[in-house]
This record gives sequence, structure tokens and C-alpha cells, in this order.
Amino acid sequence: MALKVVIKKEKVDDARPRQSARDDDKTEIEARILELLRKYPKGINDKILETHMPNLDIQIRVDVINDLLTKKKMKLFQAPGTNELFWGLNEQPVSIKLKEVDKEENVVMRIIEEAGNKGILNKDIRDQSGLNLTTINKILKALEGKNLIKSVLSISVAKIKVYMLFDLQPDRSVTGGSWYTDGEFESELVDIVNQQCYRMLQQKAEAAKLKAMDGPLIVRNASFLSSKEICQMISDMNIVKFNLTVEEIEAILETLVYDGKIEMRMVSDGDERIKTYRIVETLLSSAAIVRIPCGVCPVIKICGTAGEVQPKNCVYYDQWLD
Amino acid sequence: MSSFTLGHFSQVCSQLLNHYYGEIVGQVGSYLLRRGNRMLNDIPTATGLSIREVKKALAVMIQHNLVKFQASERNNNVAEYTMIHHNVYCLIRYPKYLYMIKRIYGTSEEILLEILLNLGQASASNVIFHSANRLNEANVLSPSALHQSFQRLAQDNFIIRCPKLAENATLLKVPTLEIEEKEKFAVPNVEIEPIARMLKEKATQLGGHCDSEIIWRVNHERFDIELRNVILVNAAARRVDTTAGELYHLILKLWRESSNPDSPVTTPVSYNVIKDAVRKNDSSPILLEHFDHYLRVLYEDSAGLIDRAGDAGGGQFNLDYSKVFENLACASLDSIVLERFGSKALRLFRLTRIQKFMEQDQMQNVAMIPAKEAKMFTYKLLEHNFLQIKELKKGTSNFAPVKSFILYHVELPQVVRTTLEASYKGLFNAMVRQMHDLTENQRLLEKHAMLESMLERLKGDGVPDEEIAELSDTMPPAEKSLVEKIHLMSDNLTLGQTQADETILILESYLKFKSKEL
Repeated sequence: MALKVVIKKEKVDDARPRQSARDDDKTEIEARILELLRKYPKGINDKILETHMPNLDIQIRVDVINDLLTKKKMKLFQAPGTNELFWGLNEQPVSIKLKEVDKEENVVMRIIEEAGNKGILNKDIRDQSGLNLTTINKILKALEGKNLIKSVLSISVAKIKVYMLFDLQPDRSVTGGSWYTDGEFESELVDIVNQQCYRMLQQKAEAAKLKAMDGPLIVRNASFLSSKEICQMISDMNIVKFNLTVEEIEAILETLVYDGKIEMRMVSDGDERIKTYRIVETLLSSAAIVRIPCGVCPVIKICGTAGEVQPKNCVYYDQWLD
Repeated sequence: MSSFTLGHFSQVCSQLLNHYYGEIVGQVGSYLLRRGNRMLNDIPTATGLSIREVKKALAVMIQHNLVKFQASERNNNVAEYTMIHHNVYCLIRYPKYLYMIKRIYGTSEEILLEILLNLGQASASNVIFHSANRLNEANVLSPSALHQSFQRLAQDNFIIRCPKLAENATLLKVPTLEIEEKEKFAVPNVEIEPIARMLKEKATQLGGHCDSEIIWRVNHERFDIELRNVILVNAAARRVDTTAGELYHLILKLWRESSNPDSPVTTPVSYNVIKDAVRKNDSSPILLEHFDHYLRVLYEDSAGLIDRAGDAGGGQFNLDYSKVFENLACASLDSIVLERFGSKALRLFRLTRIQKFMEQDQMQNVAMIPAKEAKMFTYKLLEHNFLQIKELKKGTSNFAPVKSFILYHVELPQVVRTTLEASYKGLFNAMVRQMHDLTENQRLLEKHAMLESMLERLKGDGVPDEEIAELSDTMPPAEKSLVEKIHLMSDNLTLGQTQADETILILESYLKFKSKEL
């Protein structure tokens, strides 16, 4: 009896292209499945997959789904009630980092995550994780390199950096609002806005004075501007690149009140009470004593009838009398 | 007798005495300023003057209302002498008094006041006589017109009667003086006839006259009120406009007429009364037209110039002196801080004053000043005693050092007192400087004065012009310009002293009304 000779054929090459096509298909299918998952945030089941991708080979589909599951980009859950199996999008790609990073790094990441918007100090990370300084620094550098976290200069703690997740917007208490850039207080910007507000109020007051014939009450009431109006006018002027809120303008106006240049008055407009401002003159043009050198003398305390500093040979008097 | 033992106020006073009355009076005055009540016998031993000189000095000062006497507590038969500090200080304000009277009334009243200031205490006839003498060079007024002017001054309380001997005075070794309230401003009958006669005879002294027992002096308190009113009216005019200033001036007059001068709050005046006064006073038409508005703007103003006290009679309005002078004192302090330290420091100062207690961090956040600058200005203000610190401890711990809150605040009476002392010092310095400049160049100034008087005389005698020109050339132009410069400097210093006095008035008034309200 002759043995049946089975000629083992080598696997033919054309299976290869099929493989790569398969790969391409796979990524495409992955993408489509993810898209579907996003479209139906509540989850999709096999039926929906079939309707959307009818031509899909079931084996490929299973492969893709398995891939996604291992990559943790989607998850399997049971629908409450029907006990049907659903696929859902996994919203936390972060945990995937578990594989990529060290366990220690993971701990640090979790702490930073918890800190949320406000960020966390280096010292606090050290306290919470119990790791030592050099380790933490190394980890933080690594994480920053991978663009997972970032450091923001905090104004409240004088140029110390806080760390937070890369995508989060730092909270206002950390960056200080519009008046701070990179942790520095922008005094020039404050001064500019300050002067602008003052000038606007001056113009309003002068316009109001033209109505002097109508009586002082009309003049006074016409010289008021509300904080909302001022905010609007400043925004129109485009001095600053970003928009200033009413609260920030009110903070500036409060400093003008404390300069003694303007006064504030609450007016009820319908249901709400709004703040209005106008220019006021001081009660005295200047305290009379400042018109003589002694009123503003820096060494008045040591001035006397004997000794180095005397009115007889006072330099300030010499200058003043010339 | 060295000045370092006197406070600044007393230094000013002694300088004034030296200047206006001479050294002997100055020495006696300084001693009494330093030591308070003293009997006659103590003074010569302490000052080294003879008892005759001391007696004369005391007599001069009593005549000019600078010293008062009373029976000593220990020994009823001996008198103790005390300086009246306020009156001595008011010596510096005499030019202001004259200017005010001239502005309110006219030249004749001004002359009357000047004579009275020169004489210290005098009877009405005496004053009228001397004023007529002074004015007669222009041959203007008769004594009866002057008599009427005198009455006007008395009616408005600018002059006041001196207390007279009490009834049992002759029985006591040390006489007591008293006067009744209703007699204080009552002008007695003055006989014009003898005065006119004396004037015709070109006499220099009025002989005995019917009212020689009734003596008058200047009423310093009334002038203080007037000076304060000027400041208030200026403030009102700045806050609103000049017409408001006019209205305020009228209202101040109404208040003064109805209130007790010593009370810190005036009696309320009703709307109708004010309106009548405005109508009668022939004010500007704008005021009449917008009277309501002006009144309203004034009493709604945050400076406290008018307070609304009730609704009777269309609205009752009064003035709380303590509140309005607090605002004025704060304005003065603000101005001083601004000129000495800058606008950022001013912001911090006002912020702390308005918000009462503040922490360093709060201050720099609310004031929107960079941290470093805010700290620097805060500590500067602290150093010069404009800010005060209050420490509150957080938590209790027996072991660890306890962290504390450091709060900044402005204690207004204390800061005002410090500034007041500094103002007295400034005033004193200006006076010393003036004295120094004049004495240094005394020789030159005397030479110039002699030359001027000679030139005047020669011109009067009709000497030809070339001789006069020759004579005036004996003094080189460099010296002439120097003399002019010295005069200019001296004038500037006098003006400076007047300015310092204005601030001193505001700060003193604040402290006075503050102590009254408590």
C-alpha cells in the first residue's frame, strides 16, 4: 500500500497581504467602534454593531473588541434589568498608565489627580505618599516629560510651583485672576486701568457740570456712572487683551475710593442694588502745613535748637526761600 | 530757662511773647508757662529779674489778657498768677482778625479793633477817641459814627466786656472779678461831646469820662468760630460749588445766633427759617431758584456739613462739629501723608483708617499694590506713627510659640496729637528762622531803614533830585537787592506761619470737640 503523500504546502504569501489588510481594517474598525461608543454614551450591544457594520466578519469583530477590552478603551457591562451585555466607552484612559509607569509614579499621579483644580505642593505630595524627596523629584520630572502633569506658579505661596494634571485649567486662587501673569503682579496694567476709570469719571463729571443751570442736584446725579457701564466702556477700549469682569472693575474702583478721589453709592435699580461712582473733591485742597518745609521734612524728629539739624541752617528752608 | 524743657506749644508762646513784648515779659512768661500757677515772690528768684521788672511785666500781661490771677489755695491773702495759654497763642492770629473784620464790616471797625488790640483792655470812649485820632488824619469820621461801629462789633460778640470787681472785693486781699451773662455785650451810654471836644483840641489822651469803669477786650472765642467758619465754607464750596458756599455761610450764621457756643452740636434750624434768610439776604438768583436742591446736596454729602435732624417745619438741620471736624482732620492727615510719602502710602493709610483693622496681606490685596512696595510703605507709616499695631494671639499653647495676628489700625486722636505737636514745631521753626535771618542781617537792614527815612525827609523838604539820587547811591545795588531779598524771605516765612496756624486750628478743633462729645 502506498502512503498517501501529503505535500505540505508552505503558507502562501498572499495570506500576508491579507494580514496587513486585516491590520488596516482592524484599526479602521477599532476607530469606527470607538466612534459608535462615543455616539451612544449609554452603551451599544451586538445588535447595534451589526446594524452599523453589517459586512464585518464576526471573527474580526471579536478580535477588535478583545483588543479594545485589553487596552481598556472599552468595557463590558450588564444593562440593569434586562441583563443584556453592553459595550461602553471607558472614559479613564489614565488608568491605562498603570502599565506604562511605575507603581510609585502611579501613587504620585493619584495624589495629583485628587488635588484637582487647585494643584498640590511638592511638600504635600511627599507627606501624602511617604516617599523621599529625590524619588519624588525624579518621578515629577518623568511625568512632566510625558506631558501628564504640569506645574503652575502660585501667587499665594510666593513663587512656589503647584502640580496638577495637564489638561486642567488652574483655579483662580492659584493664578490670581487677570491681574497676575506668570505669578507676577502686573502693577502697570492695574495702574493703566485705574487711570482710565478715573479719566472716564472725570469726563462724566465735566459733562454734568454743563447742566449747571438745572441745579446742583441734576449736576450731581448726572455725574454718576455704574460699575457695569464702566466695565463696558473699558472693554470697548480694548486696552487689555482679555475681558474684565464687573468684579474686577469694582476692585479697581474700590482702590480709587481709597485714594479719596471718588465715592461710591448704592442705588437700587429695579430689584437689584448696583454700585455707582462719581468724582468728589477733597475737603481741603491741601493741608496748609505742607506748604512749609517743616510739614514734609523727613528729619523733623531730630530737628531742634541745638545740634546738626536746626532751622537756622536748614537746607530745606534755604531751598524754599530761594 | 532753656527751651528744651518747654513743650512745642509753649515754645511757640514764649517766642511770641519775646517778639511782641520784649525780653523781660518773655522771660516772665516762659517761667509761668513752664511752672503753671506761681506767686509773685517766686518769679524774681527763678528768672533773676528784679521785683520791679517782674511787677511791670505781670501788669502788662494782665492788661493784655495774657495772665489771670486768683487767690492761692494755700493762702487766701496771696495771689497766684497763671498764663492763659490760648490767648498767648492767639497773638499770632491778630493780623487775621483785622483782615476778617475789614472784610465783614469796613475800615472804621478795623481801626477800632486794632486800637483795642493795642491797648489790651480799654473803655469804649477811649477806644473811640484813639480811633478817631487815627482816622482824623484823613478827616473822615466823627465819633458818633465810630460809636455805632463799636456797637455793631459788640452786637456780633467780637468784643466782650471784662469782668469787674465783685461786690465784696474790697474786703479781700486778692480781689475777685465777675461779670453777669447779660451784661457781657451791653454797650453803655457813651458821651460823644467830651470826645469831640478833646479831638478838636488835638489831645493825646482822653481825660476822665463817664464809662471809664466799663472795660472791653477782644473776644478770642468768637474769632476762632469765625476762622472755623471760613474753613467750613471753603470746604462746602469745594464739594459742590460757590453758590453752595454762600448758602452754607448763611446757615452757619443762623446756627451761631441760636446755639450755645460751647456745645458740640448746634441747635436745629428749620427749613423755613433758612429759606426766609436766603430771601432776605438778596442772594444770587440761582440760589433762590434751586434752593431745595442746594440744601439737599449739602445734607446728603458724606462730609457731614449739614445733618438732617427731623422733619418739623419742613425739615430740621443742624451741624455736628465733632463729625465735620473729624472729616476735616482726616483730610489734613491725608494731605500730609500724601506729600510726605506718596499716593500709594495714602491709599494704604486711608484703607486702614476706613476699614478699622487690617492684616498686611489684606491691605496689599485690596489696595492692589505690589507686595514689596506695600510692605515698605506700611512700615514707613508705622515708623512715623501714622499706623498702630495690635497683636492678637491665635490659639493657646503652653509649649510651642504661638502664632499671632498682626493687625494695623489708625488711632485717630493719637495720630492727630502727634501731627499737632509736629505742626507746633514747624511753626516754631519758621519763627526761629525768621528771627535768625533778621538778626543776622540786622546791621544791613538798619542801615537801609535809616537811609530810607532820610530820603523821605529830604524829599519832603524839597531837596533837588540829583542830591537824593546821589545819597541813595551810597548804598550799592547789590546790598539793596539783598535787603529786598531778606524782606521777601521774611514775608514768605510769615505767610508760612499763617499756613501752619490754619492746620493747627483744624487739628485743635477736632481734639476739642472730640473731648466734648465723650
